[in-house]
Amino acid sequence: MIKQHFEASAGYRKWTLGLLAVGGLILVLGFIFLGLSKDEHSQTRFWAVLLQNSTYFLLVVNASMFFICVTCLALGGWQMAFRRVPEAISTLVPVFSGIALVIFLYLIFGPNHHIYHWTDKGHIEHDSILKGKSGFLNPWFFLIWSIVAMGMWSWAGAKMRQLSSEADERPMENDEAKNFHRRNTVWAAIFTVAFGLTVGSTIPWFWLMSIDAHWYSTMYSWYTFASTFVSGMALIALFVVYLKNRDYLEWVNQEHLQDLGKFMFAFTIFWTYLWYSQFMLIWYANIPEETIYFKVRMHGPYRAIFFLNLILNFVLPFLLLMTRGSKRNYTVMTFLAILIVFGHWLDFYQMVMPGALGEHYSLGWFEFGILALYAGLIMHFVGKALAKKPLVSVNHPLLKESIIHHA
Amino acid sequence: MSLTKYESQLREPLVDGKKTYHDVTVDIVHTIEAKPTRLWYIGFYVAVALLLFGVFSVYMEVVYGIGQWNVNRTIGWGWDITNFVWWVGIGHAGTLISAILLLFRQGWRTGVNRAAEAMTIFAVMCAGQFPIFHMGRVWMAFFTMPYPNTRGPLWPNFNSPLMWDVFAISTYFTVSLLFWYSGLIPDLATVRDRAKTKLRKYLYGIAAFGWTGSTKHWQRHESLSLVLAGLSTPLVLSVHTIVSFDFATSVVPGWHTTIFPPYFVAGAIFSGFAMVQTLMLIMRKVMGLQDYITLGHIEAMNKVIVLTGSIVGCAYLTELFMAWYSMVPYEQAAFFKFRIAGPYGWSYWLMMTCNVISPQLFWFRKLRRNIAFTFIMSIVVNIGMWFERFVIIVTSLYRDYLPSSWSPYYRPTIWEVGFYLGTFGLFFTCFFLFAKYFPVIAIAEIKAVLKTSGESYKDEMAPLEVMSTEKFAHEMLHHDEHHREGDVHVVHHDKH
Repeated sequence: MIKQHFEASAGYRKWTLGLLAVGGLILVLGFIFLGLSKDEHSQTRFWAVLLQNSTYFLLVVNASMFFICVTCLALGGWQMAFRRVPEAISTLVPVFSGIALVIFLYLIFGPNHHIYHWTDKGHIEHDSILKGKSGFLNPWFFLIWSIVAMGMWSWAGAKMRQLSSEADERPMENDEAKNFHRRNTVWAAIFTVAFGLTVGSTIPWFWLMSIDAHWYSTMYSWYTFASTFVSGMALIALFVVYLKNRDYLEWVNQEHLQDLGKFMFAFTIFWTYLWYSQFMLIWYANIPEETIYFKVRMHGPYRAIFFLNLILNFVLPFLLLMTRGSKRNYTVMTFLAILIVFGHWLDFYQMVMPGALGEHYSLGWFEFGILALYAGLIMHFVGKALAKKPLVSVNHPLLKESIIHHA
Repeated sequence: MSLTKYESQLREPLVDGKKTYHDVTVDIVHTIEAKPTRLWYIGFYVAVALLLFGVFSVYMEVVYGIGQWNVNRTIGWGWDITNFVWWVGIGHAGTLISAILLLFRQGWRTGVNRAAEAMTIFAVMCAGQFPIFHMGRVWMAFFTMPYPNTRGPLWPNFNSPLMWDVFAISTYFTVSLLFWYSGLIPDLATVRDRAKTKLRKYLYGIAAFGWTGSTKHWQRHESLSLVLAGLSTPLVLSVHTIVSFDFATSVVPGWHTTIFPPYFVAGAIFSGFAMVQTLMLIMRKVMGLQDYITLGHIEAMNKVIVLTGSIVGCAYLTELFMAWYSMVPYEQAAFFKFRIAGPYGWSYWLMMTCNVISPQLFWFRKLRRNIAFTFIMSIVVNIGMWFERFVIIVTSLYRDYLPSSWSPYYRPTIWEVGFYLGTFGLFFTCFFLFAKYFPVIAIAEIKAVLKTSGESYKDEMAPLEVMSTEKFAHEMLHHDEHHREGDVHVVHHDKH
């Protein structure tokens, strides 16, 4: 008999605890040796790594709710058999929002101005460009808009999850199903519009682009979205494969996995498309104010990461996900999902570090330790959320489409 | 009983009116077999007249030179390039419907793909005219072709996005044409097989390439479709991406912005769908195709319009914000002094209203399903998208870095307008001929979805909708892995 409720196995709990323990220890050690260090670069490293991880993973888990909402608006049915997985992942949005908020509070009001130069009042006085931007780049606007954004994601997301629980209760008659779908659509639309106004535009400008405070690119937010959406799909696939291997999700089969693989493949190409468009246009026009961004990344100390970014996030997934067989293979999909989540983590690394640390960056125990901490947090909270509800909302009016699904 | 596909009752039928296969054929083919109506003749002659006026306008420009237009050294690109980008944009919907909506398994595409693809091809044909005649010395147009030549070291400039455009658009045109035509073959064979006159049988026989409908033919047809769909998908993105490069690679304020490629693609799909709506709403009424192009189809396209319109709106606001945020005085001036204000300010606000504000009304289901409103909106969007290109081109050019070359107010001459009208003539001449001589809806594809999405079949499935999910899964799910994609649409009635 297929189990309807997820119970974290001993192995799952062991890994979760292990990652949390290692990550937590490294966070403490990092705080002591880097955060409290007299050396400014060490301090900055501590906060920059936290910023990179907290923004990246928040946007990645939020991509799950975006996926739910857009498939709802498009009247998609195929995802119903595993929809509880992105739902569970999206419960992390308020958690990661809280963590990110603490870090932002320190960064915009604290004494360290190496990451967000525009928070340095003394510096702005002599910098006419930053002075001009201060109508946007100011601590309070940053803070309030971040809270509003996080609030909207969490609130509309919670509504969507709450609606989804209704489909656990009892079968719906035709009109009831229509009404249920309409209410879903309304909330999905609210989330999607909020998402466009935040992730699709303002939020990446605040959180990430303002690290290179003088530099600007209209593509930046869509690029950030592409990066986190493809990783979000990979994270969903990762949990689906895990649950399937543990004999959960009876009605999910290779067809669904292949479709998830198609999303990973398509948005890998989409990310590359945006990457190329941004890079090529800046390279071609060759305006120094713009090329400076790529100069430090491509010709400076980040050269290896610059190219690794393209290999991990384009070349490998593009080639390996191309065939039908690979998208239906549990092992290949697991490998690629991990690769993509890690690859875009590295993408965020190269978005954050050059502006914050310049040549003084390092990629060592602390960076990977915080990555482990976040992996542990995700495992812990997703495991908890999965155990809370049945793994399939059995009376959802579109579920039957997902049961009879062919990729 | 076991199923290979199930459709929820939440989805409305894609084909209304309990059709049989024969009904489908008759409904779609009967206009080809009948004499054209008077309305058709009127429309066709108006289109031909416009075309002739266009030919004369082009004649004036070719014979007397580019001075027949009001473009000048400052506004080097005026109506012509605006029209070019506008038509290319319209030419996006067809291939999006046939390739990308196919990948997303949007069943409703079958109702509109044929006509949308035809529209795409005609729109690209119109678009291509503008850069060619903009060259001035049009007899030199072959210089754009790279081939070993006698002009010494004189080769096309491969570093120029204008050059990339030549390849992008000709590739797009070729693949779209092949895609459209290969889809037509089975349907042309249907017309041939029903033909009463010798001439019709002969001509449709040639056009159908000897199609017999054998399994082998279908198999090859399906593989070809798959290959062409695979080729078209990147092409949908690449064409308008490269058109956007024409602007964005430059250092002209208002043009050089990194968001241009995806934003142009979204805008192209936006205007393409608007044009599909304009044509389909007329066509379904005049040709009696309401059962195939249903309110559901119209609503689905309106959803695409509100989505892409909002993406475009997001891009407009991003550009505006970034112009300020960049603290580059030229960018700020281009947007805030010469674009949203200044002598051309009206065109910016017209664009904003038509493309961003008014399509938001499509958030309301009632309006999405209102035919008259949809028709008006489709025209509004097309006007807005024309002005988008006008705004980008003219308002960035008329005030450049050097105030001494600032241009007076730019108005097109009659021959510039005539050229544009002429492309409407070309477009509608082609479209009228298409509507008369070709099956305007993909007959074979409609038949393929009839069994899962037709009205009568949906009624048959109603008992399954109320069955408990466990029972449904137990009874309907194939537990073997033998079936493949080919039989997705087939409903098996085997006995347990």
